[in-house]
Amino acid sequence: MHSLTRRTLTAAALALAAGAAFGSATVGQPAPAFTATDTSGKTVSLADFKGKHVVLEWVNPGCPYVVKHYGSGNMQGTQREAMGKGVVWLSVNSTATDASDYRKPADMAAWMQQQKATPTATLMDADGTVGRAFGARTTPHMYIIDPAGKLVYAGAIDSIPSPRPADIANATNHVKVALGELLAGKPVSTPVTRPYGCSVKYSSM
Amino acid sequence: MKLHAVLLAAALAPLALATPAAAQGPAVVTTPQVRAELVAHAPEGLQAGKPAWLGLKIEHKPHWHTYWKNPGDSGLPTTLNWTLPEGARTGDIEWPTPQRLPIGPLMNFGYEGTLLLPVKLEVPAGLAGDTVNVKLAAEWLVCKDVCIPESGEFTLQLPVNAATAGHAALFEAARAARPQDVPGARAEAALEGNELVVRVAGLPAAWQGRELGFLPETPGVIVNAAKPATAWADGTWTARVPVDAMRSESPTTMPAVLISAGQPAGLRVAVAVTTPWPAPAEVSAPAPALGNAQIDMAPAAAPPGFWLAIGLALVGGLILNLMPCVFPVLSLKVLGFARAGTDRRAQLAGGLAYTAGVVLSFVALAGLLLALRAGGEQLGWGFQLQQPAVVAALAALFTLIGLNLAGVFEFGSVLPSSWAGAQARHPVADHFLTGVLAVAVASPCTAPFMGASLGAAVTMPPAQALAVFAALGLGMALPYLAASAWPALARALPRPGVWMQHFKTLMAFPMFATVVWLVWVLGVQVGINGAVALLGLLVALAFVAWAMGSPTLGPKARGGFGTVAVLLLAAALVWALPSLRSDALAGAAGPGAPATADDGWAPWSADRVAQAQAEGRTVFVDYTAAWCVTCQFNKRTTLAAAEVKAGFESRNVLLLRADWTRRDPAITAQLTQYGRSGVPVYAVYTPGAAGPRLLSEILSADEVLGAIGAAR
Repeated sequence: MHSLTRRTLTAAALALAAGAAFGSATVGQPAPAFTATDTSGKTVSLADFKGKHVVLEWVNPGCPYVVKHYGSGNMQGTQREAMGKGVVWLSVNSTATDASDYRKPADMAAWMQQQKATPTATLMDADGTVGRAFGARTTPHMYIIDPAGKLVYAGAIDSIPSPRPADIANATNHVKVALGELLAGKPVSTPVTRPYGCSVKYSSM
Repeated sequence: MKLHAVLLAAALAPLALATPAAAQGPAVVTTPQVRAELVAHAPEGLQAGKPAWLGLKIEHKPHWHTYWKNPGDSGLPTTLNWTLPEGARTGDIEWPTPQRLPIGPLMNFGYEGTLLLPVKLEVPAGLAGDTVNVKLAAEWLVCKDVCIPESGEFTLQLPVNAATAGHAALFEAARAARPQDVPGARAEAALEGNELVVRVAGLPAAWQGRELGFLPETPGVIVNAAKPATAWADGTWTARVPVDAMRSESPTTMPAVLISAGQPAGLRVAVAVTTPWPAPAEVSAPAPALGNAQIDMAPAAAPPGFWLAIGLALVGGLILNLMPCVFPVLSLKVLGFARAGTDRRAQLAGGLAYTAGVVLSFVALAGLLLALRAGGEQLGWGFQLQQPAVVAALAALFTLIGLNLAGVFEFGSVLPSSWAGAQARHPVADHFLTGVLAVAVASPCTAPFMGASLGAAVTMPPAQALAVFAALGLGMALPYLAASAWPALARALPRPGVWMQHFKTLMAFPMFATVVWLVWVLGVQVGINGAVALLGLLVALAFVAWAMGSPTLGPKARGGFGTVAVLLLAAALVWALPSLRSDALAGAAGPGAPATADDGWAPWSADRVAQAQAEGRTVFVDYTAAWCVTCQFNKRTTLAAAEVKAGFESRNVLLLRADWTRRDPAITAQLTQYGRSGVPVYAVYTPGAAGPRLLSEILSADEVLGAIGAAR
C-alpha cells in the first residue's frame, strides 16, 4: 500500500477513536447518562433528577477562574437563585488523583462549606468519566439539562473571559439568563458559548 | 511678600524635580514564572514613516507557557494595553507561530521558552521633545499544571532622534517566526456531516507532501485535540477536521496556521467556508411545563418524594401538638371548647377558622422562607426566632395573655367598647388569630418526621414546598378540627360552671412558663442585660395592663394609674430597647457557648470536624439553638446522662456544639447539606464511614451509644 495512504488510514482510525472517546454530548441532544459518587460517598445518577432542570458545573478549587467566581460569591449566588427555583445543581470535580491540585472528597466538601456553596451534590469524577462524556474542557464549564433529559446549554458562566472579579458585574451571566428563559417556557437564546478557564486536569490516558 | 514667594518656590521645587523622575518606571516585571520586559526597536529613530516596533518579551521558566490568540480548549491569550504619546498608534499583536501544548484529552496552543509579542508603532510627524514615554499594561495567563493569571505595568522612554536597536536580533527572530502569508494559496472548507473538509492548494514546494498541522485562529470551531485524516493529491492538501460538538462560532472565513515539523514558521491561510453552518439544534423548553413537571405531565412525573413528604408532614403536624412549645396554646384552645358549650355550629366554625389560621400561617411563613432563600439569604426553619425583637414581642404577648387569663385585666375594659364588641361578634376571627399565634410559637420545635420533610421541601419547586407546609399545618390543626366537628367530644366536656373560672386562671401558668422560656432564649441571644431589660419591660407592661384594664378599678383610679403606667412603660422601652438589639453583645459571652469548652463541648467548625476525621477520631456534633425546646430537652436528659458521658469518654469522641440561636450562615449551609433545615440535628462522624450518620430528633442513650460504637 502507498505509505501515505497507510498513514492516512492510521490517522483516520486514531481520529475515530479520539473523537469517540471525548465529548459526545451535543446541545439539542439527550445528555449522556452518568453515575458518580459525591463527596459523602453517596451514588448519584443523572436519572435521579428526571423531571427537573439540572445544572452541571465543573469546578476545581485550584483554578484562579473558579476562585474568581467563588471568591466574589457569583457562583454561589447563581446556584442559590437556581436551586430556589427547584433547579438541581451538581458541582463536578474531574481532577485526576495524580494532579497537583487534586483534593480528596473530604477536602472538597470542606472547601465547598468554606465557600458557603450548597450544591445538590458535589461529584468526585477523578477518573474523568463524566467530564469526558460531556467534553468538559475548562473549570468552570457549565451545562444545563432540561427535565426531559436534553442538553440545552453548554459553555461559560458569563460573557467576559478574564480572571478579574470586577468584570463579573459587567458580564452577562449566561446560566442565569438561560434558566430564566427555560423556566418561563421560552427557548434558550444562546445555547452554546465558549467556556473559559483552566483546563480540566484529566488523568493521562 | 518676598519671603512668601521664596517659601512658595521652596515648597514647589521638589515637585518640579520629581516630575520627570515619576515618569521613569520599570520596563521589566519578574514573577516566579516569567520575566517580562517591554522592549522597542526603532533603528532610524521615531520619525513618521520610519519602521518602529514595540513588544513584550516574555521569558518563561521551564515548563511554563502562555497562550496564542486562539488559546485552544482552555486558557486565555496575552493582552496588551498601550498608553502612547498624542497621535501615536500601535497595530495588532503579530503573533509568532505557536506550538501545540497537549494536556490529557485536551489541546492548547501557546509558547514556552523566550517569546516576543511585537506590535507595529506609528508615530505622528513632529514629535515634541527628545524622548517619548510608552506605557504598557499587560495581562497574561501562565500555566504549567496550575494556572496563574499575572499582569504587569511597564514604562519605557524612547529617544526620538536616536536609534533604538538593542533588541534587533529578538525582533528579527520574532518576524521570522511569524506565520508567513502565501500569495497564490487557495483554501476553502466545506462541512460534511460533523467534519469540516479543508482543502488548501498552492502551498510552497518545500511544504508539498509533508504532514501538516491545522491550527485555526478562530477558537470554538474544531476539536483541537483531534488528529484529522489528511491526504495530498495533485498539490492540494485535504484534511477532514472534526467539528466541536459544542461549536460556539459560525465563521464564514477562518484564518488558520499550517505547521510542519522542521519548518521554523507556519503558513497563514484564509480558509473560506463554502457551506452554511447549521443553526444550533432546537433547544426550546418542554411545552408548557415550567420545568416543575407537575401540572401537565402524568402523575408519575411528580417525584415520589413529594407524596412521602406530604404524608410525613401530616404526621409531623399531629405530633407537633404534643411538643412543649405548643402546649400552652393548646390550653387556650381547650378553654375555648369549654366556653363555647354546646353550640355545635359555632364550635365547628371555630375549629375551621383555627385550622385556616394554622394552615395559612404555615404557608405564609414557608412562603417568606422560600422567598428569602431565593433572594440568597442563608435561612432555615425557625429563622423568625433568631431575631431578638421577635422573641421579645412574643414574650410580651404571652405575658398579656397570661395576665388576662389570671384575671388581672379584661380585654373589654382596655379596648374601646366597639372593639370588644367586635371580638364577641367575630369569634371566628378570634379563632383564626389563635391559629396564627399557635404557629408563631410552635414552628421552631421540630418534631420527629418534620425535620426530613422540611429539608426536602426547601429543595422542591415552590408550589410543592408550600403544599408540604400546608400539610404540616393541617396535621397540627387536625385534633381540634376533629374535636370541633364531632359533638360527642364536646358533650364529654362538663357543663359550664365556676370550675371554668378556676380553669381559666390555671391556664395562665403555662403561659407564664412559656414567657420564662422566651426570656431565657433572649438572654442567650443578647446576654443577661437584654434578658433583664425584657423583664423590666414586662413588669411595666403588666402595670399598664392592670391600670387600664382591671375590672375592679374605678374610672378616676384608672385614669390616674393609667397615665403613670403608660409613662413608666415608655421609660422602660427607652431603657430596654438598646439592650435588645441583636448586636448588643459587647462584653457578654457569645451566643450560647463560650469560646472555651464548657463541660466537654467545643464550638463547631467544619475544619475541626475535618481535622478530627484526619486523626481518625469519632466526632459527635450537636446542632442546637436556645429557642429549640427539643434540643434543650435532649441536652439535659440524654446528653447529660452518666452512661452516655462515659461512652463519649471511653471512645474519645470529639464533642462539638453548633449553636444556631442566632443566624449563622455556615451552620445553615451545613444543615442544608444534610437535607435538613432546622434543629436539632445530631451528626456522628465515625472514622472510615463515608459520611455522617444523623440520629433521630429525640435522642435515646442506646441510639447515641450505638452510633459511637460503645455498646451498653
